Amino acid sequence: MEQKLLMKHYENDEYASYKGYVKHDGYAALKKAFTMKPDDIIAEVKNSGLRGRGGAGFSTGMKWSFLPKNNEPRFLLCNADEGEPGTFKDRMMMERAPHQLIEGMIISAFAIQSKKSYIYIRGEYNESYKIVEKALKEAYDAGMLGKNIMNSGFDHDMDVYRGAGAYIVGEETALISSLEGLKGQPKLKPPFPAVQGYLRKPTIVNNVETLAAVTWIITNGAGAYKKYGTEKSAGTKLFSVSGNINKPGVYEVPLGYPFKDLLENECGGMKQGFNFKALIPGGSSCPVLNKEEALKSTMDYECMSQLGSMLGSGGVIVIDDKQCMVDLLKVLMHFYHHESCGQCTPCREGTGWLEKLTNGIGAGTAKLEDVGLLDKVARHMMGTTICALSDAAALPVISFVSKFRDEFECHVREHRCKVKGKCHAQDHH
Amino acid sequence: MPKITINGKNMEVPAGTSIIQACQQADIPIAHYCWHEGLSVAGACRMCMVEVEKNPKLQIACNTQAVDGMIIHTDSEKVKDTVKWALDFHLINHPLDCPICDQAGECKLQDYYMSYGLYTPEMNQPKMKKNKVVSLGERVLLDQERCILCSRCVRFTSEVSKTNELGIFNRGDRSVIGTFENRPMNNNYSVNTVDICPVGALTSKDFRFKQRVWFLKDFETICNGCSTGCNVTVSYNQNGVFRVRPRKNEAVNGHWMCDEGRDVYKHTNLEFRLEQVVERNDELGGASVKGKPVPLAIQEISKKLKTLTSKNADAVAVVLTAQYTVEEYEALLQALTALKVKNFYHWKNNEETFDSFDGLLLRGDKNPNTQGLLKVMEKYKVKGNLKDFEKGSAFSMTIVAGPENQTVYPDLEKKIDVLKKGGEVVYLTSCKNDKFNTFKWQIPMKSFVEKSGTFINHKGMEQKIKGGLKISKEAITLTEFAAALSEAGGARA
Repeated sequence: MEQKLLMKHYENDEYASYKGYVKHDGYAALKKAFTMKPDDIIAEVKNSGLRGRGGAGFSTGMKWSFLPKNNEPRFLLCNADEGEPGTFKDRMMMERAPHQLIEGMIISAFAIQSKKSYIYIRGEYNESYKIVEKALKEAYDAGMLGKNIMNSGFDHDMDVYRGAGAYIVGEETALISSLEGLKGQPKLKPPFPAVQGYLRKPTIVNNVETLAAVTWIITNGAGAYKKYGTEKSAGTKLFSVSGNINKPGVYEVPLGYPFKDLLENECGGMKQGFNFKALIPGGSSCPVLNKEEALKSTMDYECMSQLGSMLGSGGVIVIDDKQCMVDLLKVLMHFYHHESCGQCTPCREGTGWLEKLTNGIGAGTAKLEDVGLLDKVARHMMGTTICALSDAAALPVISFVSKFRDEFECHVREHRCKVKGKCHAQDHH
Repeated sequence: MPKITINGKNMEVPAGTSIIQACQQADIPIAHYCWHEGLSVAGACRMCMVEVEKNPKLQIACNTQAVDGMIIHTDSEKVKDTVKWALDFHLINHPLDCPICDQAGECKLQDYYMSYGLYTPEMNQPKMKKNKVVSLGERVLLDQERCILCSRCVRFTSEVSKTNELGIFNRGDRSVIGTFENRPMNNNYSVNTVDICPVGALTSKDFRFKQRVWFLKDFETICNGCSTGCNVTVSYNQNGVFRVRPRKNEAVNGHWMCDEGRDVYKHTNLEFRLEQVVERNDELGGASVKGKPVPLAIQEISKKLKTLTSKNADAVAVVLTAQYTVEEYEALLQALTALKVKNFYHWKNNEETFDSFDGLLLRGDKNPNTQGLLKVMEKYKVKGNLKDFEKGSAFSMTIVAGPENQTVYPDLEKKIDVLKKGGEVVYLTSCKNDKFNTFKWQIPMKSFVEKSGTFINHKGMEQKIKGGLKISKEAITLTEFAAALSEAGGARA
């Protein structure tokens, strides 16, 4: 069953405006937050079990508590650089309920006592940018931002910053680099952003969905939030479901919801003539699950990790039996090769090598050993770089090759696509 | 102080030491490209991976601080495999043009392949094509294909020279080092980027294609380009000196030296040298006569000198530039004062001022041993400079210890008329210059790579120069000149 905690009013067009938002109890959570102590808000968020919705799934309250306990200026950054292929939930959240995000950010900023925050919006999200910018102006006009918000004595300023179209800037330290006006490249950790981030000041970077969820948690309490989901994966999560299904879109379900139900009920099942074959559960960086694994999986952090995959950003890509896995991997490898920032050698050189190998296999010009080599190269890129892009490129390769090796070998051995006879992967480069 | 264990070896390191520094202290080799002692940590090459117990992931040694109780392995199978692959990733798009690469023989890719690689390459794909010859500035060339993007040069220009000319353009394996249009890298420290480049990507336009490095020998000495006295390594072979590179000394120059200093070897090579005595023969209408043996020439000079000083000690003057060693000044002043000479002049060509120092290494005083000369002059209680010489009365004979490095004496030729006031000029020089043929004598001197001795730098630090090359056969030092001067013609009589 869909459980619309955050998406409750998303179908209502006026919810995007300040008036419409306030009509549906908007900014009530903020009012409540100002009656609480900042540390209590952090404790509430920690108790709710909210985990970062951007992909890593790290406890939000825990992340906040890493900030140094002093009066040093600090920043809150909203990561709205939603670039993970298969993910489009943040876009909808910003377009349908920008104030929900802004309110969540003010509460979070109050909790960590930050006087300045930025919403870093993906460059391609022009519409989201316009809507959030307009909402920010409304919030300023209504006195929700600026000096002495709601007579609480708390000052806060918020700005929107637009990316320039780099996937890697979704990584929090790269986002900070980009915001600082540098080339969007991840920074070495340590120091971690909570200690030394934007402008070398303590910085918290949270995903859009995470910050919006804070609004709900403060309104309804940590206990209410924990009622949804599983023990280790509390609350609900927005899933962006795509593929040849009847009703692709964004669905909010409690964590722990069986994938089979999500596919059959919410998404209306597979389109006619298509059969379910495989699943990428959390955006293109997550290892693929085959049919058996996918149908027994539940949408939560533990189950996905048990199956050797990840919940990631919730970009559910449903793969049907008309899709050639070599063709799909070729698209992914082109993407990661194009998006590698080029800082660390294994990723910079490895992503290019993976793409060339995949192209060769697809075109049938490769040798049979190259299928094994593809896997071997990917395995040696894992865990060797500053950020996780190298792993993000390697994980799909390893899972695709290990679970659908026959399709790869068919391309090489028989110079044809096992699924379609002829596919795009055979096009020469 | 944290106590750590590396490969079973217990050691104690100062707090804040990184694992790579600890390894260096313990003489444990650790492969690295991007890390450099004099620069910030980039953590990009991923070669220095080590295994830290209780940590499931390998860590980079350059950005991991040694913490008390850490147990580190640099030689486990997991580390070896990872380093091997990190090296392979560096090499898959590398052109492997070692036979025509200047860096061959001192290339870290070659070195590490021998110590960590030795695998059969599996890369069977076409390599990335980039530009092979890109001029970054007046002194440095870039080969983008050989570049491993360690970013050392970029960090150098941003952190050391603070000129920020270099950057990495584009992303992924299309990344290239480059400069902005019309903003070339022409800072006075640009060749340091060539030194720190671990591969053959950056090459010095001056040294490029001159010599294979395995035909060169090195010796350590002090740069004679200015009063900083940077510690340098000079590379030479039987054909002469080919390059000068900085040598680490935190107390003087750190890891660096300036580009002007790179050129100090040029005047030591035979093509620029005065190899024989040149005498102006007035009987032949002032023609230059070459080839008189040095001892014979000094004998004649000595005779004349003694005749003059026996009548009038003020008839003879000595003009000294600060480009010789302390030992040489000592010998010369001792010999000449014994011969009753008392007019000594310090030939200063430029003043050390606040503005003349570039803030990093290069100083206004372009002489390596001004402090040394002043110290010796003080010891012999003589003083005076070229202005005093100019203002004072004329002399019958003047011995001039001319500059060895003429490029820092731009007004050298204008000074010929000034010096001619000294009557019969005995010009001691290592460089040939036809303009000096108006002087009575030119005696060939050894350059700083051919002799040993002491320079005292601007801080008053004594540093030894160690030469010993044989470039000009007849050349002598000031010490030898002084000795010959005293002995010749029975000086002791």
